[in-house]
Amino acid sequence: MTQDVEMKEVPAPSNSTASSSPSTFHHLKEIASLIETGAYAREVRRIVRAVRLTMALRRKLKAQVLSAFLNFALTPGSEPHNRLASYLPKEDEHEMEVDTATSVTQTPVKHPLPELEIYCYLLVLIYLIDQKKYNEAKACSSASVARLKNLNRRTVDVLASRLYFYYSLSYELTGDLAEIRGNLLALHRIATLRHDELGQETLLNLLLRNYLHYNLYDQAEKLRSKAPRFEAHSNQQFCRYLFYLGKIRTIQLEYTDAKESLLQAARKAPVAALGFRVQCNKWAIIVRLLLGEIPERTVFMQKGMENALRPYFELTNAVRIGDLELFKSVAEKFSTTFSSDRTHNLIVRLRHNVIRTGLRNISISYSRISLADVAKKLRLDSANPVTDAESIVAKAIRDGAIDATLDRANGWMVSKETGDIYSTNEPQIAFNSRIAFCLNMHNEAVRALRFPPNSHKEKESAEKRRERQQQEQELAKHIAEEDDDEF
Amino acid sequence: MDPKLAEVSQLFERFKAACAREDVDTCCNVLSKLKVLLTGFSSLPPLFEDTPNAIHELTLARDIYEHAVLLSVKIGDQDAFERDFFQLKPYYTDASSSRLPPSSQEYMILGLNLLRLLVQNRIAEFHTELELLSSTALENPCIKHAVELEQSFMEGAYNRVLSAKQTVPCKTYDYFMDLLAKTVRDEIAGCSEKAYGYLSVSDARQMLLFSSDNELLQYIKELLLPVLYESL
Repeated sequence: MTQDVEMKEVPAPSNSTASSSPSTFHHLKEIASLIETGAYAREVRRIVRAVRLTMALRRKLKAQVLSAFLNFALTPGSEPHNRLASYLPKEDEHEMEVDTATSVTQTPVKHPLPELEIYCYLLVLIYLIDQKKYNEAKACSSASVARLKNLNRRTVDVLASRLYFYYSLSYELTGDLAEIRGNLLALHRIATLRHDELGQETLLNLLLRNYLHYNLYDQAEKLRSKAPRFEAHSNQQFCRYLFYLGKIRTIQLEYTDAKESLLQAARKAPVAALGFRVQCNKWAIIVRLLLGEIPERTVFMQKGMENALRPYFELTNAVRIGDLELFKSVAEKFSTTFSSDRTHNLIVRLRHNVIRTGLRNISISYSRISLADVAKKLRLDSANPVTDAESIVAKAIRDGAIDATLDRANGWMVSKETGDIYSTNEPQIAFNSRIAFCLNMHNEAVRALRFPPNSHKEKESAEKRRERQQQEQELAKHIAEEDDDEF
Repeated sequence: MDPKLAEVSQLFERFKAACAREDVDTCCNVLSKLKVLLTGFSSLPPLFEDTPNAIHELTLARDIYEHAVLLSVKIGDQDAFERDFFQLKPYYTDASSSRLPPSSQEYMILGLNLLRLLVQNRIAEFHTELELLSSTALENPCIKHAVELEQSFMEGAYNRVLSAKQTVPCKTYDYFMDLLAKTVRDEIAGCSEKAYGYLSVSDARQMLLFSSDNELLQYIKELLLPVLYESL
């Protein structure tokens, strides 16, 4: 609104503003030409590059620039153009005239490529979401998904998968995620039929996210186990998949698998994706606690994550000491954090681990201790703590957590002597397994070394070499900069 | 009223009367007839069409399935319980959010299902079901009972499990609690085998909750426990 007022008061500088935004506009035109060449040459790589360049421009997108670009890319007055322009806020006429004047002087685009049209949808959608206009974003994304159902071109796949992501995001931000589940399933079927692997990956992740949002772990697992699997095309999608898989496995009590997936997801995620890595780490910490191991302090001290991981740090402390009272108080103190992270039920499961750790400490420290004292130390708050303690200790002995025997007549727990481990074969076996692991990793790394394909073919011309070098430089710059998370 | 709806309601009344009389055979027959009639309604899952009588039909169908579940507990048929419960679940999750008023027996049946999973040692499914429950559901005594039972079972405080038998929130839980008591007994025996150097007969009888020495000796013979050593 203030923009409009300014415009009306000072009509002269409109030219200058029109000239400053062309830098973004200029970039958008470059991207559009890149998409065109990519579409004509059927090279998906160029489209991927185009999308990457767009993400860099994301902050600078404004309504005027977008409408100018729409005028450039799509013939004004055509149906897609009208639909898309309706989503953008109306600016004042003056600005539009200037832009239409400039666009008329350029050569008008002949028939808009479907890729360009989808790209325009994508731009408008990103703009709407960044502006927090979620309802319009919902409408725009539904329209784009309907349009995509008719297109079946490999070059559109990259753009399509981004569109699906924003489609799901706009519905999630308005709280209507359940509505689109049917659509997502249908889209997944279509993507599988067309062998659109990137689309399949993206849609599977979106579906898993949908189910996990509503805690439907059973259905999520059924879908995941039956969906076709293949080599991951996109690192970000693979990270997401690992995270969802880890969550499902945790709830199903398969802690070892869960730990592997979650730690891998946290490691592979780009450094800029802080929120994602924080979530992965939270779940990984809990899974490690449930497995009986205590995560080391450095995990909690990672850059930028200290505050978020603070409740989990105190929880780990309580589990490490084996003190039930402390555990209960920590769980209550941070209960809101835990319920918003949806880890509340897992924390309840940890009670068992706290007791085990406490028992282990007692068993190591005392050679013989009465069960009444054990009950007092564990601070079991129940009707008859001694009998409880007795049963708990008996189970712990059976599970092999502690090495002791019970003497019911006297009401004692007698710990067994732990012999000298180094006199047995144990160290040898442990070393053997570690050496085997390292050798395995070395062999796999050697096998993974590859020469770039087609290097034995004829020498590339100077022009191609330049282009390839330019691409490599850009890629290196992108990795070095580590800009916003792509997805 | 719709003639189909009237027929189903009448049949349902007969079913309820038979249940009250504890006439299991009539119950089963009438139930199968009811289920066949229910397929005639299109407002039920999975179609969920919006017919004019939809709410009435949905409530009626839900009541029928709830009674079916309780009947399966009475006759001790766990497979039938599972089938009927799966049929009942959409009424609680999908239909309730839109139109139906909540059922009075919802939490009791959910608690029963949790207990069943615990008895059958399907702990992973137990926890998956637990995730689906809202925080208000977790406060309900029926469900809280099942959750605490699972906690005690995992920790190993088996005496708590056995004493919980007295504090069941409703009578229908008794069947599963008996089954659970059997499982617990096996567990206690296994733990005692490893944990105790020797155990007197009277102590063993007390721990395993047998009422006489003969029963205890019978149990031992069945399990062929090598360790329990008599010392009076």
